[in-house]
Amino acid sequence: MAGSARVADGQALTPDGSAPAPGGSRPVAKRGPWRTGLLLASPAIAVFALLFIAPLFMLVYNSFRTQAGAPTLHNYTRFLGDSFYRDVLWHTLWIGALTTLGCLVVGYPFAVYLRGRSPRARNYLSLVLLSPLLISMVTRAYGWLVLLGPKGPIADGFQAMGLEAPKMLYNDTAVVIGMVHVMLAYMVLPLMGSLDRIDPALTPAAKGLGASGWTCFWRITVPLSLPGMLAGSLIVFSLTVSSFVTPAILGGPTVKLMPYFVYTEATSNLNWPYAAAIGFVLIVVTTILTAVYARLLRGRGGKEVFA
Amino acid sequence: MTTAREAETATATEASGASGKPIAAGVGGRARRLLGAVFAALVGLFLLAPVLVTIASSLTTTSYVTFPPKGLTLHWYAELLNRPEFLDSFLLSIGVAAGAAVVSSALGLAAGLAIHRYPFPGKAVLDRLFSSAFAVPTIVLGIGLLQWYAQLGMASSPLTLLLAHLVLTVPYTVRLVLAGLAGLDRSAELAAAGLGAKAPRVFWHVTLPAVRGPLIAGAFFALITSFDDLTIALFVVTTDMQTLPVRIFNYLQYNYDPTVTAVGTVMVLFAAVAVVIIERVVGVAHLFGADPEN
Amino acid sequence: MTAGTDTVGTESAPTEADPAARAGSTRGRLVLKGIHKSLGGKEVVRGIDLTMEPGEFLTLLGPSGCGKSTTLNMVAGHLLPDSGAVEVDGRDITRLPANRRSMGMVFQSYALFPHMTVAENIAFGLRMRKVGAARRSRRAAEFLELVGLDGMGERYPRQLSGGQRQRTALARALIVEPDLLLLDEPFSNLDAQLRVRLREEVGALQRRVGTTTILVTHDQDEALAVSDRIAVMAEGAIHQLDVPETVYLRPATDFVAQFVGEVNVLDGTAAGAAADGHRCRIGGTHLVTATPVGTAPGDGESVRLYVRPEAVRVRALPEAVSGKGGPATTSAPAAAEPGLPGTVEATRFLGTRVRCVVATAAGRVEATLPFGAEVPGLGEEVICAWQAQHASLTARP
Repeated sequence: MAGSARVADGQALTPDGSAPAPGGSRPVAKRGPWRTGLLLASPAIAVFALLFIAPLFMLVYNSFRTQAGAPTLHNYTRFLGDSFYRDVLWHTLWIGALTTLGCLVVGYPFAVYLRGRSPRARNYLSLVLLSPLLISMVTRAYGWLVLLGPKGPIADGFQAMGLEAPKMLYNDTAVVIGMVHVMLAYMVLPLMGSLDRIDPALTPAAKGLGASGWTCFWRITVPLSLPGMLAGSLIVFSLTVSSFVTPAILGGPTVKLMPYFVYTEATSNLNWPYAAAIGFVLIVVTTILTAVYARLLRGRGGKEVFA
Repeated sequence: MTTAREAETATATEASGASGKPIAAGVGGRARRLLGAVFAALVGLFLLAPVLVTIASSLTTTSYVTFPPKGLTLHWYAELLNRPEFLDSFLLSIGVAAGAAVVSSALGLAAGLAIHRYPFPGKAVLDRLFSSAFAVPTIVLGIGLLQWYAQLGMASSPLTLLLAHLVLTVPYTVRLVLAGLAGLDRSAELAAAGLGAKAPRVFWHVTLPAVRGPLIAGAFFALITSFDDLTIALFVVTTDMQTLPVRIFNYLQYNYDPTVTAVGTVMVLFAAVAVVIIERVVGVAHLFGADPEN
Repeated sequence: MTAGTDTVGTESAPTEADPAARAGSTRGRLVLKGIHKSLGGKEVVRGIDLTMEPGEFLTLLGPSGCGKSTTLNMVAGHLLPDSGAVEVDGRDITRLPANRRSMGMVFQSYALFPHMTVAENIAFGLRMRKVGAARRSRRAAEFLELVGLDGMGERYPRQLSGGQRQRTALARALIVEPDLLLLDEPFSNLDAQLRVRLREEVGALQRRVGTTTILVTHDQDEALAVSDRIAVMAEGAIHQLDVPETVYLRPATDFVAQFVGEVNVLDGTAAGAAADGHRCRIGGTHLVTATPVGTAPGDGESVRLYVRPEAVRVRALPEAVSGKGGPATTSAPAAAEPGLPGTVEATRFLGTRVRCVVATAAGRVEATLPFGAEVPGLGEEVICAWQAQHASLTARP
């Protein structure tokens, strides 16, 4: 049927070729439908223009000023010229990469496991998966403080076995554990989405052609779930490198990442332009890295998988 | 045209999908299934451990936090009552969170409808903005807002905090509403109109029920996000007006007693009650239809 | 306009007790006048004129993109025509919003409200008309029974089979006693067997309730089976509007001939009126008869003739005439024996019928022989003939 005239496709129902008003009962097109759209979107647009775009633009502007307000590139040259800050940047990206990897290693099998469960079981397991996001990040980090502390249950366990407990708190390990804990859901949910879209007949079909279980997994399941892996990795990485609270609590005085310096430059040193510059270096580097990662993974998976 | 059926199943079993049961082969299958269950249990333990530890150690009789707790007491909950600042902070947090939930649902619904069915200038930009807002570190947004509010001469108030939280929560609700609208068969709206319903009634009887689940899930996420936010709040609040996470964070700088675990437990209970309500009203499956955002 | 009236009974005005008591309704007379509509810069409906009598069942038949659904949506009020008028019972409703018209529409996707029970779905139109709850549920129960869904009122659409959803949608459309019932490809989501059963049910139900009905479909079997009249549409225009028999046996255009089924197309010249139709000369000499579509062509004009394989009779050529041999033989027999001589080229067994392909002076002619008929042998000389009323004659395009 006339593609444009189908009732269900929602397009081209009013005389000017646009979708009708909700309810579609008014086949009159005096006012442009774009005005209705703009009207509906305007509150959200206003919020984002005033409270997202404007402050960020102001920050960008400020990051090219001295504290006195004169134009300068100093904030950026200072950051990039100082090996201390460069190391902080590398350290941040390293923690982000480790967390992403950790989420993949734990999350992929978990997503595959969820795939075979009943809807009910999936709901409850998904709820467990989301639970770290539902509780206060302060509570969550505090729980890890107790668990990983020198007198915590894990250290007790080591002692019970007559071993010396390794240092688990205020180091990279603590931060990565804490981050994987929060970020796991962001990895598993897109993975589940990808796995669900795989035709369940593919594995039996491949087995019928002589493939072993492992071959099926590596040749079919994994490649077809690349989009989910990509989406999950991008989100986990971006959110990890920009998170402040969990690294601040679990990393203690030794693990200091980019967001920490944004915070201290702004609050302790009151050097707003420099805080802004650190923030934007982080945003730019993260954006470039995720774009490269996306391209690499897409290149491997082929366009078809991502269609 | 299977949109009607899709809409139904989408609301009924969002998370069930069409997953094929792995064809388990004999003994190997059973062993693998057991291995899977053990693995899943371990992941579950990992995910729940901090909460369990927090709850358990809030019951300890010692004046320092320890796990497993030594003895059992509700002393630290009673102690909480002697600290009205925690209650004040709780009320402030819950108020701001409820406001953020309601407002971002309304904004999200309107913006979702606009994006889904109207052409308007800047639509693609807006859509893009909502799906990539998470890439901006919350801490950067926090200092930006602090300076921006100062620039505008806006003093800290629950309102400025609520507005700041909208930036975190509206993208959630928009995504969820869009997912709900995608599952709605447009001809259902035409059918309602054809049966005599005016536009507002079509919206009320057909469109709104289709996004009811996503909307409630979105409100819930907005509630939790706002309630738990520390990063933005750190910049927007003052010493007189501290949200609960800020209060706990500051308290932790100087104290290490179980009062904080008692507060944490109360917050966990609060989230749990919210989840139970969601489960009763629309089913928890709606919570997983979300594109994760910050 | 002829067939529309045969469903009109003599029963009295509708009563509430019997949902099916509207047979004999005198409302629901639809007139479309010069309807034009462009969508996305393309003119998809180009001048539709149509009159439907109360109680008539009319099908808009055509391929994807022919404008049939667009036309239906303009009748429903979901689309506004660029020009032209829609009138129901003498009232111009062209610019009336859908919710203020009285149309019961059944959508291809059924468009049931997923969050309402079957009974609530069915009663929705009454609710919009502010009918009280008690009366609503009573009427809903009656209509549930009418469509054979007794006791299913409390289920939700997702718990129904495709056919049950279809019936729910039908009941929902009919409960408001609409001026017109509009069916937009209602059977296309059903499997073949169910499709046939449901279309029979819908046809029977329509005859009982007597609501003027438009069915939109691309399935010619469906159209032929249930309609009083069929409007065959292509590229935004109606090519032919007539009763199913005529549309099938005497297509007006190439398009109708090809779309509605298999057909033999023969070109020739007009050769004067005959008692039962019009004569036509094919291959220069052989005379056949057919019924002209529209005005009869003048003698000697180029004409095209359509005849269905089912209408072609194949007879062995009498010895005396066939003596000379070849199919395109010379002379006189045509005068005595109207028909097209030829040689049997192939026969195919089709289960209940036999298809016979005959090579003639005008090309291959296919004939479907009824069950039990004598099948001519390969290479046999035969005459293909048909009754004038089973073939149509048009000016050659």
